[in-house]
Amino acid sequence: MLLFALASSLLLQVTSPAAQSRARELRTIAIDEAFAAQAHLKVGDTVTVSSRPGATRTADGSESGGDLLYSEAVIIGAIVRRGADPSEVARGDLLVRMHLDQLQRVSGYGDRVDRFAIATAPSTPVSEIIDRINHVAFGFKAYPSREIAVETSRTFQVVSRFHRAIGVITIVASSVFLLCIMVLKVEERRRDIAALRLMGISRSSVVRSIVIESALVAVLGCVLGVALGWAASLLVNWHYQALYRTPLEFSIVTPPIVAFAVALSLILGIGAGLLASLRLVRTPPLQLFGR
Amino acid sequence: MSSPIVSIRDVRRDYALGAERVHALQGVTLDVERGDYVAIVGPSGCGKSTLLNLIGVIDHPTSGTVEIGGKRVDAMSDREATSFRLRNIGFVFQRFYLMPILSALENVALPMAEAKVGRQERQERSAKLLAYVGLGNRERHRPSELSGGEQQRVAIARALANGPSLLLADEPTGELDARTGAEIISLFQRLNADGTTIVVVTHDEDLASAARRKVHMRDGKVVDA
Amino acid sequence: MRAALAQASLIRHRSRTLLAVLGVAVAAAMLLDMVMLATGMRESFRELLLSRGFELRLAPRGTLPFDTDATMPGVGAITAILRTNPDIREISPVMGGSIHVRVGNRDVSGSVLGIDPAVQGDYQLLSGRDPTTADAIVVNDYLLGRLGARAGDTISVATGYDPQTRTYSGQRRLVITGRVKFIYGATEQSSSAMRRETLESMSDVSKRDRASLFMVKVRKGADAERVRDWIDAQLPNVTAISIATAIAQVDARLSYFRQLSLILGAVSLFVGFLLVTTLVTVSVNERAGEIAVMRAIGVSKAHVIQQIVIEGVAISLAGAVLGLGLGLVTARYLNAILSAFPGLPMAIDFFLFQPRAAWSALGLLIASGIGAGVYPAWRAASLPIAESLRREAIA
Repeated sequence: MLLFALASSLLLQVTSPAAQSRARELRTIAIDEAFAAQAHLKVGDTVTVSSRPGATRTADGSESGGDLLYSEAVIIGAIVRRGADPSEVARGDLLVRMHLDQLQRVSGYGDRVDRFAIATAPSTPVSEIIDRINHVAFGFKAYPSREIAVETSRTFQVVSRFHRAIGVITIVASSVFLLCIMVLKVEERRRDIAALRLMGISRSSVVRSIVIESALVAVLGCVLGVALGWAASLLVNWHYQALYRTPLEFSIVTPPIVAFAVALSLILGIGAGLLASLRLVRTPPLQLFGR
Repeated sequence: MSSPIVSIRDVRRDYALGAERVHALQGVTLDVERGDYVAIVGPSGCGKSTLLNLIGVIDHPTSGTVEIGGKRVDAMSDREATSFRLRNIGFVFQRFYLMPILSALENVALPMAEAKVGRQERQERSAKLLAYVGLGNRERHRPSELSGGEQQRVAIARALANGPSLLLADEPTGELDARTGAEIISLFQRLNADGTTIVVVTHDEDLASAARRKVHMRDGKVVDA
Repeated sequence: MRAALAQASLIRHRSRTLLAVLGVAVAAAMLLDMVMLATGMRESFRELLLSRGFELRLAPRGTLPFDTDATMPGVGAITAILRTNPDIREISPVMGGSIHVRVGNRDVSGSVLGIDPAVQGDYQLLSGRDPTTADAIVVNDYLLGRLGARAGDTISVATGYDPQTRTYSGQRRLVITGRVKFIYGATEQSSSAMRRETLESMSDVSKRDRASLFMVKVRKGADAERVRDWIDAQLPNVTAISIATAIAQVDARLSYFRQLSLILGAVSLFVGFLLVTTLVTVSVNERAGEIAVMRAIGVSKAHVIQQIVIEGVAISLAGAVLGLGLGLVTARYLNAILSAFPGLPMAIDFFLFQPRAAWSALGLLIASGIGAGVYPAWRAASLPIAESLRREAIA
């Protein structure tokens, strides 16, 4: 957390060539892609890191103001890609990774940290370790990582619920549209249906043929729709990953999703065809002709 | 002698029917005088309906000329032809083709509305026309509430809405029984007596006999006029 | 006459018309919601920021107000410098912190704002009075509930908790003098406010004479942006944020929702368009004969098209009206979901109904209704009359 807090208040200055002779003694930091892009930095650049705002650069390139106790020159050692953390995605924070002791010094934090991350041996039960730590701890508490993840992902949960709501609404809306269009299309055939009935073709035969037709249209539509949806998903990911510079996947098409969409579309498409054709075969044929 | 109201010279009409080419009219020449009552007769497929369509400017000849009231109509643009039809020609169809959603009065008023006649005048003239064709008491009825003969009479009233100089009828008694057909025939005679030029296309012998002149057609040609 | 014809035609096939209207209503509802989403956040945030009349906010350089734990040193000095600008009317320094209150054997914690009651812009007094005395504190209803206390009660408040030593830097007995509603408060947030001097006296020495935030009111008619630039120049330790900048920042963070609204809005419009086109096409194909007859009796192509387009527009209009109601209901539901964002001020709405937005959505829908009807109508009206009549005769 301290890292993130500092990230936005860190000041970077590119030092003058004169100071670069000290490069050999400087330590390295890593910055994220967004930072590199925004500040036009690349690996090997020398910058000054400070935890107190207000340091200014004078005409000859030397530093003044601020608090030099809390600044250090460093070299950009690496440019890193952020992890896929949805809660961070749109915040626009810039990430810097430093050696712990250096950050402690620059921030004036002293020999303190925000947290320890602990990896346990595979054989030991985690809860046992947590209990042992909490028993002897003074001034801190141990949690399983999963608990923390849930806590910090409340933002993500809200977005997730929102997506689900939008998803439900979209499904309902799509269903209504599908029904409308299928019914209209079958209605378009009212004259053909009337002619068939006048010829002596039975109601059930007519309905059956229309349902088969609707099924074919529905199947074709499904195939096209799935392909379109998959392409759209690729497009969405490509766009947002580039926009937010994150490997986070915004849209995933999974087999259960495809199965659900296909099943629903088939049911609706065929159902609509069935309903509309049943309505039409019940109407006297001459009325269908409009006479 | 005044010039003929309809003047057709060497008109041909071909159209494609699937892969074949049909020669519906093969060089027809015909005149219709003002105030005349002409019946065009012939077997099915002889081209009589096609000829009527050309006179009514709802179709264009492949070659030849058509003049109505001294005006060349065969090469008119769609807009000119529409406007011409609205004001100069009344069309009556075998199938009546009334708007099922409008009342008898409204059906008759439809061409007047298009010709920008005011609402008051529209209503008065429509009522008069319906009375003329004997349907003064059926103004508010929808076509579905009228018999075949009554519907055809409404259609005739509609055709007369803008006082056309020419009334064209394609098998006007085709869908009617003998008695109703007779009513229509006598209506046509009355119209002609009152000065309307009429051209009908028909299979009906009675209707053809009621006309002043018969034009026989066969295989896209006039065989005697 | 054309309108009458269109109306009669729609009534003729009642169920079909109703179905199409329903479909368009759903599309209209979604379109309205997306338009509301696209502008809602920004507008409600702007209203919130302006609600107490403070046009500028000052935060530690490089941060947004209360984004971090950072604070600005030298409240007195900063205030003095600000006062030299004649365009600045009011300055309200704020210090943020947290408090702990012992209730029985429970420890109730909450946030606290150290303010100047005379010029504060953080809360609205619901009952009682402002914390004008040194031992006064005001709390929101949520905290009041958790404390099980009432206005007038005295509580023991501690602040400056050090987890290492498990001690507090300061503890005092304070009187709850009023009930307030914090303007920027999130739901289920325990919040309180006291005089800044009181909070300072309870805090660690290192926290004295510091502020988390300054709120600044400019003189009427003054240019807030110019004052902002002046502050930036005068106070290098500080970032001055105007309302426009704050909104831009929030916009950037919530750009995701705007983009989503754009995509879904476009899809809704397209589907609505498709529906109306389908309906008009089917309707027109059925009436090919009628249309041919109209042309035969002399009705112009333009008028035939007009009549058909009127039908399309009528459906769009009916659907839009229905969709308005539907959209508002859905928006409330979606807004309720998004309002659960942790730390989001309760006053922020994601979906804000603005008449202007509604009109533009309606306009879009009507335009698409017109567009959807024009092509099939034009095609039908352009068919050769004789051929259509012949085909009708065969049928």
